[in-house]
Amino acid sequence: MKKRRIMAVFMTAALAASVLGGCGGSTDSNSSADNSNSADNSNSADNSVPAISENSGNEDNSSSNGSGDIIEFTAFFATPGAEINDDNEIQQLIAEKTNVKVKETWLTGQTASEAVGTIVAGGEYPDFIDGGDAMAALYDAGALVAWDDYIDKYPNIKEFYTDEEWDKFRQEDGHIYWMNAFQNIYGEDKTTTHNDEAFWVQARVLEWANYPKIQTLDQYFELLDSYAEANPTMEDGTAIIPYTVLCEDWRYFCIENAPQFLDGYPNDGSCIVDPETLTVIDYNTTDTAYRYFKKLNEEYHAGNIDPESFTQTYDEYIAKLSTGRVLGMCDQWWDFSATVNDVFKQQGLDKKGCNYVPLGLTIDEGMENQWYTSGGTLNVSSGLGISVSCKNVDAAFKFVDDLLSQEIHNLRYWGVEGVDYQVDENGLFYRTEEQRMNASDTAYKASHICSYSYFPNWLGTSRDGINAMQPTEQPFEFMDSLAEPVVKCFEAYGVSTYPGMLGSVNKAGKWYPMYSFSNTMTTATPGGVAWTKMGEVKHEWLPKIVMMDNFDDAWEQYMEVYSACKPEDFISEMQAELDRRVAQ
Amino acid sequence: MARSAETAAKDKKITWKEIKRQKVLLIWSAIIVVYGFIFYYLPLGGWIMAFQNYKPKDGLLHSKFIGLDKFKFLFTDGTFIQVVRNTVAMGVINLVVTFVMAIVFAILLNEVKNNFGKKSVQTISYLPHFLSWIIVTGILHDALSGTGIINELLMRFHFIDQPINFFAHPGYFWPIVAFANVWKETGWNAIIYLAAITAIDPSLYEAASMDGAGRWAKIKHITLPSIRPTIMILLLMNVGNVLNAGFEIQYLLGNGLVKSVSETIDIYVLKWGISQNDFSLGTAAGIFKSVVSIILIVIANQLAKRAGEERLF
Repeated sequence: MKKRRIMAVFMTAALAASVLGGCGGSTDSNSSADNSNSADNSNSADNSVPAISENSGNEDNSSSNGSGDIIEFTAFFATPGAEINDDNEIQQLIAEKTNVKVKETWLTGQTASEAVGTIVAGGEYPDFIDGGDAMAALYDAGALVAWDDYIDKYPNIKEFYTDEEWDKFRQEDGHIYWMNAFQNIYGEDKTTTHNDEAFWVQARVLEWANYPKIQTLDQYFELLDSYAEANPTMEDGTAIIPYTVLCEDWRYFCIENAPQFLDGYPNDGSCIVDPETLTVIDYNTTDTAYRYFKKLNEEYHAGNIDPESFTQTYDEYIAKLSTGRVLGMCDQWWDFSATVNDVFKQQGLDKKGCNYVPLGLTIDEGMENQWYTSGGTLNVSSGLGISVSCKNVDAAFKFVDDLLSQEIHNLRYWGVEGVDYQVDENGLFYRTEEQRMNASDTAYKASHICSYSYFPNWLGTSRDGINAMQPTEQPFEFMDSLAEPVVKCFEAYGVSTYPGMLGSVNKAGKWYPMYSFSNTMTTATPGGVAWTKMGEVKHEWLPKIVMMDNFDDAWEQYMEVYSACKPEDFISEMQAELDRRVAQ
Repeated sequence: MARSAETAAKDKKITWKEIKRQKVLLIWSAIIVVYGFIFYYLPLGGWIMAFQNYKPKDGLLHSKFIGLDKFKFLFTDGTFIQVVRNTVAMGVINLVVTFVMAIVFAILLNEVKNNFGKKSVQTISYLPHFLSWIIVTGILHDALSGTGIINELLMRFHFIDQPINFFAHPGYFWPIVAFANVWKETGWNAIIYLAAITAIDPSLYEAASMDGAGRWAKIKHITLPSIRPTIMILLLMNVGNVLNAGFEIQYLLGNGLVKSVSETIDIYVLKWGISQNDFSLGTAAGIFKSVVSIILIVIANQLAKRAGEERLF
């Protein structure tokens, strides 16, 4: 009797162990091996019930056989992204060539700093991690592996930056802990899109107005309003929304930072730098800021700004844009384009001119603008890091190195030859209409395409010297894939690319971009505390001053609350950093 | 006197024989005690963070000790005062509303004579309890949006000309939260009262009918007094929960415009503790919340004791 009971306890334990092993098997081959051992032991000790143990044993074997020699890593990116299927075809191809497969997870429903804070508090990190705005927190927590000893070993990684650029990634302790994955141009610059912020307008609006020259904020709103008045509804009867603003959480830059651009400065993100006097200016309190918000206030009360602007979530915003009802907004290209353009293409709205083109607005006529800054932007404040939890650091670096080799890079961005793209007799890559349609189909992307998009990737010209690193930059491919109304719009303005629409001058100083410093600020310094508080106040007050009836009163109240945050603490720390960068 | 001393002595005497006889019970309760110690008391050691300038790199043992600095920062921070106010206000509103609604609902349901109707209503009404807040807030967000059902109805019946933007006005936020709580929890909370009502001796009702009592009189003089002990116990337990006014719903429904009324202590802890990496400040705020909760429950218990009601301890 007693014996049987003890046996039962053992069996339960064995079963539990094998079940756990089954779950853990996919991520950690060691633990699953251990568990299968223990399951086997209990099996041999107890012959009376072979069925259960045998089953569990099989499960373990199959999982370890299936993964073969391929190392599985995990990665977390503190930005929203689309998860791909586990049996993704290109991911499998890359795994066969590099022996590494990375399970990527993305931000959902949290802010970057919350997600990273949670990971830090837990103390267990994914193998690869990009903490976004919260990268500094990972460094502070000692969560990252130093890169110094590895960079030289891997030529493709080393090649990604010049020594001078690598040095900019050094943290206070003198080591390098991450590399930024983006905005790096190989060879000749082939930029065709404007990946950054702008006031966007649907191509059909410009066509309707016979392609006028739109230079100022006032002209922009006049255009939107008059179009909406003449065409109040879509074909299906839903009402047009002339202008909407996204204010959710960290994405409130859509309302917040336009004053710096309107004044003709580039996206330093947290302040303006006067290139003459080399002083830091707070763009929140400038006369331009006052005029910009006053304009928004007027338009809001005239019913031209979406009343849901200040309460909508990101998903609601994207859904709204995807219907084609919204004529214009201020946003970053990367924030809306991927999803919205795909939907336009799938729904045929691109043919109707719903695609957005950027306008290089300033507050007054005849000013230069710097909405577009060419030549790649080195943001050293965040990037891809490898965590101390990673058990095989060499393999991780090797993988990053492999991803940057031309063969794998083509797989990531172009796909499989003959399936995702064709090659003509001159070696030029191009895509058929069907292949383009596939590339904008969410389901196809999830099952087939794997770009490992937050791992380092090149823009510019491929190592073969003719093609672009990424299809969006292939000149013919770019023109062919553009919707007809956008092409007509480009022709009307005599430009060939998105940045051409902006007409920006390129004169960002060597300190650019300043946000790579303010992003690393923490509440440990008075400037950091001020920065946090300013953010809180702006989150609440910017929508308020747009909505309140008496703008001047509202502005006065806002300024009072704003100055209570001691923005001067923040500005003085920014000034110190500017001086440091200028002296470098 | 002598007898009570004798029984006391008898109680105290624990013989080996007794222990042996209760061996199984003792082992099981020991497991529970160990479990409780590990998962409820051991983590309290982390409270020491509130008195340190905690850095994850240095760990609990090597972080710098700074005394009560973090608490000083808390109580001089205008935002913290604001979140405490929001938490208390929403906690009290939710407590009162959900509590009253549950009792009223249970009594009303009890008066339904058709058994099928009664069971159906009960089942339907407690189902929302099993929805997670993310779904409930999603439904709310859609229902209350400019093109949502509430605005459509109000416009169809000409109560308003323009859709109301419910989430843009701080004044609407607390009622929306209270409504969401009532919608989600009323059915579930009513179950326990329904059970208590079922236990009432039917002869009491029969006797009351003989004396000519109507429905109202029966509710007032039989049902309510009979479930009073249940009500008191639940009230006491809920008072301890006032500061748990919620996290998910405020977090998911809030936005920049209503921030001043939507943020609760839990959100504050998340913001400073996790987002700003100031684990110490987050812990301090958490301690404050726990301590206030304990004080509240002790006071409520004492009041109940004095009034001669049921109590927790």
